[in-house]
Amino acid sequence: MRTERTLILCEKPNTAQRVAKALDGYGKPREKRLDRVPFYEAERDGKELLVVPALGHLYTIAPKETDRNIYPVLDFDWIPRHAAERKAAETRAWIEAISKLSHEATEFILATDYDVEGETLGYTILKYACGSKEKDARRMKFSTLTTDELRTSFTHLADHIDFTTVEAGLCRHFLDALYGINLSRALTIAAKSWSGRFTVLSTGRVQGPALRFLVDREKKINSFVPTPFWSISAEVEINGSIFEVEYEREVIERRGEAQAIVEACRAKKGKITETEVKEIQQSPPLPFDLGALQTEAYSLFKFTPKMTGDIAERLYLEALISYPRTASQRLPPSINYVAIIESLSRSSEYNRLCAELLGMKQLVPREGARQDPAHPAIYPTGSLPERGLSGSERRLWDLVVRRFMAVFGEPCLKRTMKVCIAVDGHRFYLWGRRVLKEGWTVFYKSFLKAEEVLLPRLEEGQEVAIKRIELEDRFTKPPPRYNPSSLLKKMEEEGIGTKATRASIIDTLYNRGYVTEERAVVSELGFDVIDVLDKHCPEVISVGFTRELEKSMEKIQNGKERMETVINKAVTHLGPVLEKLKEHQEAVGQELSVAIRKAHMQRRMVGVCPICGVGKLMIMYSRQTGKQFIGCTGFFKGLCKASFPLPQTGNVEAARRSCRDCGWPMMRVHVKSRRAWTFCINQGCPSKGGRK
Amino acid sequence: MPCKICERKAEKELCGLHEEARSTLFRKYEVWRKSLNLSWTEYLQEIRKNAYAGLWVKEVASYLLASNRMSEQDVPRSSGVAMDKV
Repeated sequence: MRTERTLILCEKPNTAQRVAKALDGYGKPREKRLDRVPFYEAERDGKELLVVPALGHLYTIAPKETDRNIYPVLDFDWIPRHAAERKAAETRAWIEAISKLSHEATEFILATDYDVEGETLGYTILKYACGSKEKDARRMKFSTLTTDELRTSFTHLADHIDFTTVEAGLCRHFLDALYGINLSRALTIAAKSWSGRFTVLSTGRVQGPALRFLVDREKKINSFVPTPFWSISAEVEINGSIFEVEYEREVIERRGEAQAIVEACRAKKGKITETEVKEIQQSPPLPFDLGALQTEAYSLFKFTPKMTGDIAERLYLEALISYPRTASQRLPPSINYVAIIESLSRSSEYNRLCAELLGMKQLVPREGARQDPAHPAIYPTGSLPERGLSGSERRLWDLVVRRFMAVFGEPCLKRTMKVCIAVDGHRFYLWGRRVLKEGWTVFYKSFLKAEEVLLPRLEEGQEVAIKRIELEDRFTKPPPRYNPSSLLKKMEEEGIGTKATRASIIDTLYNRGYVTEERAVVSELGFDVIDVLDKHCPEVISVGFTRELEKSMEKIQNGKERMETVINKAVTHLGPVLEKLKEHQEAVGQELSVAIRKAHMQRRMVGVCPICGVGKLMIMYSRQTGKQFIGCTGFFKGLCKASFPLPQTGNVEAARRSCRDCGWPMMRVHVKSRRAWTFCINQGCPSKGGRK
Repeated sequence: MPCKICERKAEKELCGLHEEARSTLFRKYEVWRKSLNLSWTEYLQEIRKNAYAGLWVKEVASYLLASNRMSEQDVPRSSGVAMDKV
């Protein structure tokens, strides 16, 4: 007789390990391997469990037409990832192992992350690797990987996987492939057919509009002409202490007028004419959803959204925080606030703060309006780290813990005082701020800036002396550049991409060379790609259509729209665009080739030659030896013979900064599996201490 | 025809991006003139070294100064100030 065995499919190896440990009756599952692929045998209530991990997606959507020189392609299939991506060779062993183990199973449970991607990857594995078990499988739903929650979710299994979520996921993958593959092929083929050189150019359903935001902002910055204005900076002396005061007008348009104000008030005495005291309540912050966590981590620690997403994922897999890819701003009581806080109080760092929270009459979190049907807002599970966390992991975990505590805090009460000082017909304002009750800020103190300005006792009619008054030449400033965090926020506001995909799309913009530097500077190539798309097919960089598709996918997930309808709409939209691109292939190719060549040249430029001061230093290749070196462009005119050696291994690029010791250009070298390093090209640089 | 500044495709002497920068540069002259009482050349020189002025605006200012194109037609009509000598 065949033994009854249940196969539990998890998303990743460490999730599988946690699930197996939580579900095994003795907490000691047996780890086994099948062709390098780990899996776990566990036993619960007399049932044999096979806990099997995937490796993220094991299947991918790929065009049936495999010739990369052909587009449009409208027919796609789900195929094993190893058959489509060179870097995914190891997925072959995983598919084979899961397939073999599925033959031993009589029952199937899906225990991947409970979201669109988790559901989709589980569906494809159950369907293609396990022999169409997608309809028979039941579902474990959980938001944390704690033992209690995993056991509860195993006891309360959903009867089947969520098919509308699967449909939304399949639709998203199809649309991304449809747009990404066709448009990227159109651009790459056009450029290659003109220049004969192959360079990967890409754009997509979300990537195009995101790049457009950056290009629009860059255009505003580059065409910006500042407007001059003047402001007054002044200080007053009260009881021997100096305080900064604000002039009544922030902007003065004429220098002469500003000068006259300074002259009129210099060394004069003013009188306090009015004092206004206000008390303001500052509510606790909202719990973190993924976007808010990414924004806060960027502003506090300069972590990019992608980095924050990756660290949060690791903390989730260690069962330290709840599932991070959530849009929710809610913390339902079912997560058990008291248990989490009691558990956190085991840490000496949080012990005092936890005691304060536990001493409160009632724990009621401040919550926002946004809900996520699958997961609550991000919260700490209460578990303490089992291993030493890295610096960045520790900081992010601490941020999540403190934010969780802060949302239960009382409002912070502040008193502000505005004092009006009249000087010869001009008014100045003195501001004071004092915290009356710290409230929630006690829990979040390490992430807040102290901003108290304590004023002495002041009365109306009291005289104060102007101690310093100066004119300040000022200019209006251009709009700020986007950084990875503000771009993510913009994408969120505009409703393009999802919480799971936005960060990686921003990364792609950098990887393709469309954007450089932390404060996103659009490269020539980025401009030209948008220029070409804008000229020949503005529809594909339209935010409106992308947003509409996102809404359609949400409707699919809620069962209000069918996948086929949305796909037909997208194909009808994209078809004419691709025809147009094909029709203008030559012109598109020419424009892109020029941009690629310029970008390539730009990457080789190092800076002004420090020897002749006229030519430019460039990375060059010796015709005789093929070796790379830095040479001056003045060489071709017979003006300068400066040349500098370069390492012959790894990827060498200009560091875009000068040496602190000698001011010569610096270079950066990237060698695989080593940390990148920079060096000064000057062999006689004092920083080298005689070394060459 | 390539843009005189960046060699992008252009319909006249400047590409769309530099043309837009030039029109902003011209439009803002009136404000600068009233605030600082500058001549057109002085204005262009100031813009060229201003930290907040955009890259394309600076390139256009340099181009106008270098190409010595300070003829009557290049100075904004609304300025109403004496022209610099060409």
